[in-house]
Amino acid sequence: MTMNAPRLLRRSRPAGTVSGGAVPGGAPRPDAGPPPGVRVRDLTVVYKTPLGELPALGGVSLTIDPGTITGIVGESGSGKSTLALSLLNAVQPPGRIAGGSVEVDGLGDVLKLKGDELRGARGRHLGYVFQAAQNSLNPLKTVGKQLLDLGRSHGVDDLAALVRDARALLERMGLDGARVLDSHQHELSGGMRQRVGIMLALVLNARLAILDEPTTALDMITQATILRIVREVHKERGLTTLMVTHDIGVAAEVTDRLAVMYGGRVVEHGPTMDVLGAPSHPYTQGLIRAIPRLSGDPAEARALPGRPPTLGTLPTQGCVFRERCPLRMEVCETSAPLPVRREERTVACHAREPYASAAGRGEHA
Amino acid sequence: MISGTGITKTYRQRGNVLGGRDVRALRGVDFSIPKGGAVSFIGESGCGKTTLGRIIAGLETYESGEIVIDGTPMSSLRPKRREAEFRKIQLIHQDPYSALNPTRTIHQTLEAPLALRARRTGRPSSWVDDRAEELLSLVGIDPGYVLGRYPHQLSGGMRQRVVIARALTVDPEMLVADESVSMIDVSMRLSVLALLKDLRERLGVSVLFITHDIATARYIGDEGELYVLYRGQVVERGLTESVISGPVHPYTQSLLSAIPVLHGLERPGRERVVPTEALDERHADSGCLFARRCPFRTERCTAELPELMRVEEPPIGGLAPLPEAPGAAPHEHACFHPVRRSVIPEEAA
Ligand SMILES: Nc1ncnc2c1ncn2[C@@H]1O[C@H](COP(=O)(O)OP(=O)(O)OP(=O)(O)O)[C@@H](O)[C@H]1O
Ligand SMILES: Nc1ncnc2c1ncn2[C@@H]1O[C@H](COP(=O)(O)OP(=O)(O)OP(=O)(O)O)[C@@H](O)[C@H]1O
Ligand code: SF4
Ligand code: SF4
Ligand SMILES: [Mg+2]
Ligand SMILES: [Mg+2]
Repeated sequence: MTMNAPRLLRRSRPAGTVSGGAVPGGAPRPDAGPPPGVRVRDLTVVYKTPLGELPALGGVSLTIDPGTITGIVGESGSGKSTLALSLLNAVQPPGRIAGGSVEVDGLGDVLKLKGDELRGARGRHLGYVFQAAQNSLNPLKTVGKQLLDLGRSHGVDDLAALVRDARALLERMGLDGARVLDSHQHELSGGMRQRVGIMLALVLNARLAILDEPTTALDMITQATILRIVREVHKERGLTTLMVTHDIGVAAEVTDRLAVMYGGRVVEHGPTMDVLGAPSHPYTQGLIRAIPRLSGDPAEARALPGRPPTLGTLPTQGCVFRERCPLRMEVCETSAPLPVRREERTVACHAREPYASAAGRGEHA
Repeated sequence: MISGTGITKTYRQRGNVLGGRDVRALRGVDFSIPKGGAVSFIGESGCGKTTLGRIIAGLETYESGEIVIDGTPMSSLRPKRREAEFRKIQLIHQDPYSALNPTRTIHQTLEAPLALRARRTGRPSSWVDDRAEELLSLVGIDPGYVLGRYPHQLSGGMRQRVVIARALTVDPEMLVADESVSMIDVSMRLSVLALLKDLRERLGVSVLFITHDIATARYIGDEGELYVLYRGQVVERGLTESVISGPVHPYTQSLLSAIPVLHGLERPGRERVVPTEALDERHADSGCLFARRCPFRTERCTAELPELMRVEEPPIGGLAPLPEAPGAAPHEHACFHPVRRSVIPEEAA
């Protein structure tokens, strides 16, 4: 590299000020192709613990349609981040992907990628913002230097164009691009750092964006801004977006698909409006009834009985939710319900299976 | 009854070459929390909620103003007596994970403060174990199950209950719950809220509830009051239900508008308000503190500082106010152009 970082960053600054016209950074480069679909099959991830290897994902299957924003929701420990990391084939020890496949259009089975191939795919195809991204920038380097590092590690030839794209993306998200690139982490607020994270995820033109808790620890008003930006950038760049969050409200606000996780399984998946408006799995039903709301009678809200499972307390056979389930049946003790798809909705619950007893099915909580 | 008038607090930030800059965390706050009552403080990060909560719990100093506990002004007391008064107010730490000593069983955690209390009040040592069990039952957990366990063996909801049980060992008049339910999983959040409500009703304990999750403030029982803080000033207050369903201050409206809508169950409010700028605390303090971000500001707003005043009757804006119960807290605001706006989600048909 002959040019030093400050010069590159400076040179990329356009002579005039940014004004009017088409929004730069809105659309990806023309070679990008359509947004990818994702098919996760029988994904099993285990963590080594003092009690032996325990499954954090117990055979997850999930189809993500191209161009959708899918929310992955569930309580702490349900396996959301593990799922997100698996999509990047980035599960670290003591964790290990024990089985299954993750097919991404244009990439094949991500779990089969290794070494340079895998590093190349991350960033170029798979953009990601890890949980706690606010604190994951290098405190010693400016954002601009970190951007150049990213470009070099991916063999980007035209670094000046990369910086231009980054600035355009930041400006698209309502920030002063030049200033942000010149800043260190500590000079940026939490909401600004999240936007920097999203920029770094997308600047190499990735079409599958994976955002793990992108608004956690942000203020309500800043959160609303970030959510609006996620939605707009998703649309303008033609992405397939996965948003991991423990906050159903956040998912409801931006996503068009919702996948609900419990105990390392996806228990329900479907259009967001339908899942919230008419939840089918007993866990989803209980969860939605437990959300504190701004309107309606507080007395009607109900906490879910029992407590969330941990890796050590997850039952090894039968349904993972049965300890807390109002509809539990005998079969739930011994056999784990498989996801069954009916029209747009996929549900994994014996009581919702087409051949389930009338007693189980008739119930509507 | 615990009240305060004109509480101010400024943090000096040193270390800067330019001699540092002052953060005016509280700019003359009045409050009053009746016995068995519930008051919630809400507002953006940095608006001063925790500072005010810590001052009320006697854990933080303040520059001016007075706090009165059960009729006694705190400034009139010697430090030792003052400490004893403030012991009536117990702070519940926001993070149930770090609030408990990981090397102690729940029994040991509760035993220490109870033994101290037994000695002070001349009770027999057998009282300690009885009381520990009683308190755990009171907060809704099975003493047999938790007493011998360590914090890491309990769920977040259980841990928070233990933290509350520990606060109850000194028979407080008031609990200060600073983000006490935010860290707990949704499925169990309601049960901790119900516990706070229950402690109010059964023991007459008052609750000071600090949160950024505004909806939870509705779940700690009837007749609660809501205080909306902005940059160290109370900008709107009243009965929780009145403020949430009929906010008149543009800042309150912005906060409520920012709460995600549960599409499928709810439709967005028709008049959601979005601030024109992000929060930047460095700006000058002339006029209304919210003026820079307010979509409705006029010239008057940057010239004068609005003080808290009553929401006028007849109702302003298109919405009628909820009927005020006699003796209930009046709905007040600090805005020159108060208009009720419909910002919270409506039930979807
Ligand atoms: N490094 C690790 N070692 C051991 N167990 C782990 C590790 N990382 C995760 N786990 C366990 O795997 C399960 C799933 O964790 P994961 O981080 O995927 O959950 P999550 O849904 O993202 O939770 P959160 O909402 O808290 O981020 C949990 O039970 C967790 O304790
Ligand atoms: N010990 C301190 N030294 C200097 N400044 C402080 C200190 N504690 C708080 N502040 C400042 O005082 C203001 C009010 O802080 P406070 O913690 O009360 O806010 P808060 O409303 O509780 O915010 P959050 O929602 O983030 O908890 C902030 O600007 C904060 O940076
Ligand atoms: S499979 Fe059985 S226990 Fe599991 S959610 Fe369905 S009814 Fe409940
Ligand atoms: S006083 Fe003016 S600037 Fe302040 S909130 Fe009211 S309308 Fe907005
Ligand atoms: Mg996670
Ligand atoms: Mg605080």
